[in-house]
Amino acid sequence: MALELFGVPVKKRAMIWIAGAIVVVNGFFPAVWILLTSLKTETELLRVPITYLPDAATLENYATAFTAQPILRFMWNSFVVATLSTALCVFVGALAAYALTRLRLPHRNLIMSVLLAVAMFPLITLMVPLFKLMREAGLLNTYLALILPYAVLSLPVCTLVMAAFFQDIPPDLEAAAMVDGCSRVGALFKVVIPLSAPGVFTAAILAFVNAWDEFLLALTMMNRVNMRTLSVGITLYQGEFAFPWPLISAALIVAIVPICILIAIFQERVVGGLTAGGVKG
Amino acid sequence: MSELSLRKVVKAYGTNRVVHGVDLEVRSGEFVVFVGPSGCGKSTLLRMIAGLEEITSGEIVIGGTVVNELPPRSRDIAMVFQDYALYPHKSVFENMAFGLRLRKRPEHEINARVAEAAAVLQIEHLLQRKPRELSGGQRQRVAMGRAIVRQPKAFLFDEPLSNLDALLRAEMRVEIKKLHQKLGNTIVYVTHDQVEAMTLADRIVVLQAGNLIQVDTPDGIYNRPAAKFVAGFTGSPPMNFLAARVGEGGRTLHLAGGIDLPVPARRVAECARHAGREVTFGLRPEHIGVAAAAEPDVARVRGSVVLVEPLGSDTLGLVRLGDRTDAGEMTGRFSPDAALRPGQPIDVALALSRFHLFDDKTGVAIRGADW
Repeated sequence: MALELFGVPVKKRAMIWIAGAIVVVNGFFPAVWILLTSLKTETELLRVPITYLPDAATLENYATAFTAQPILRFMWNSFVVATLSTALCVFVGALAAYALTRLRLPHRNLIMSVLLAVAMFPLITLMVPLFKLMREAGLLNTYLALILPYAVLSLPVCTLVMAAFFQDIPPDLEAAAMVDGCSRVGALFKVVIPLSAPGVFTAAILAFVNAWDEFLLALTMMNRVNMRTLSVGITLYQGEFAFPWPLISAALIVAIVPICILIAIFQERVVGGLTAGGVKG
Repeated sequence: MSELSLRKVVKAYGTNRVVHGVDLEVRSGEFVVFVGPSGCGKSTLLRMIAGLEEITSGEIVIGGTVVNELPPRSRDIAMVFQDYALYPHKSVFENMAFGLRLRKRPEHEINARVAEAAAVLQIEHLLQRKPRELSGGQRQRVAMGRAIVRQPKAFLFDEPLSNLDALLRAEMRVEIKKLHQKLGNTIVYVTHDQVEAMTLADRIVVLQAGNLIQVDTPDGIYNRPAAKFVAGFTGSPPMNFLAARVGEGGRTLHLAGGIDLPVPARRVAECARHAGREVTFGLRPEHIGVAAAAEPDVARVRGSVVLVEPLGSDTLGLVRLGDRTDAGEMTGRFSPDAALRPGQPIDVALALSRFHLFDDKTGVAIRGADW
């Protein structure tokens, strides 16, 4: 009989660990490299042979990151845009997901497929019409110019994630809520959404990260420096002829941290959400 | 006064009609049970009363108001669901208080009404628990508590006991009946279990394929079934049926297997009107016994025991009437003292004052003048 550890054969367990390690290293190596770079001086970075750990770790790059560009302003812009677009996306997505799972809709499956198809549109094809639209509406350099498209771009996947969760809520629970005194929408917000919290959080995180990371639209819609979001703002650290990598790395770390905090807070719910949705959906 | 009226209520999904024009008046304080096999439209009818399903045509009136267009929350009804439908994220107290909170009742009133309902249902010690920490019977009580605190015009029960095991079901049945006697609410109760229907109802509504077959008291349903379907649905075991022909002058019934039964004098006139007609003859198990001394209106038929099912208090015996190959079989309810054995010859006594006749095509009862 094969050796076992916690009910799994040791050999199999080792394979799982190796596979897991590959995934983790692949995912974390760039982040770790950026972190190490941000702690080096520019001279050390260019030195041959290369050093892995910084010889004399310095926080100077971070200090410069906060003074060379209005990074807190960029962060605030990103935060406003990501939060509001997430809220809008989850709100509209919840209503759509509810309609798709609960109402007697004609062509439900067709609507679902169209949603998926929309999610596959390359962003670049939308760029010119979106820009024209925003310019005519006078929305360039306003938060709305990003909030609206971000919400729309995340909407399909958010809707599908939430629909998978709503499907598992027994319809009688809503019936009970409606008899108890809720309207249909009231039942959605008082019973269905609280019960599908993992799904709603998962959708929200997806939308938030999408918005936080987005570059192309942010670059196009906002050309005033004080309206730049983080993803675009970081590019402003490069000079005309120079790439101050340690400084850029420091700014990148500053941009990553809020997302890490966010994920850490909701980790349990989101992990539950991702797997539960996968199994049940 | 009528608390709830259904007037020509029809439900159709596209061209598929599932409820065919139901008319019903439910009196205030009455306990009405909808009973029928699955798919007969009983739950659909209940959900239409609740407002969870739209009605295709007709009218539903609750407490004098036509509610066709009103959403469930405005109909002043409470509902208990088969799978309890308790809010899993709320405590028992909050489950019960939910309806009152939505109606913006003051906090002290909510506390008082929940406490009162919890006392009635003996669930005071469970108020702080979550539904998942409760047993099936406790959940059922909470579901009822949630309905009671609302003090609605009518309670709707949708197969509330089907998820419970047999013992608990019998217990909860008694609880529900006690509750109705204590509170005197109007109740519409859906079940597929004829025992629940018989024991609980003031009146039973028997439904089949979206049609109302009979509305009557339990006694009426059992003793004067309007159709073979109703007779075959009630009683355990249900009524026995045999093909028969009404003889000349209505004085004899010719049963399959060459058995001729004399019609009691009292029922000759009624049978005479159907002389020569092919019918279905029906007799309940308790009207079949072991023949002893000659009794009036009891026919003696020589037969044999086919199968014996002892129940303790009674013994069910399947007996073959006569000895021909086309002989009919009937289940009788015998005393355990009869000590039946399979294969044993037996003189069967049929209490002919209690037989029923049904049209052999439509199943509609052929009723006598005394009905």
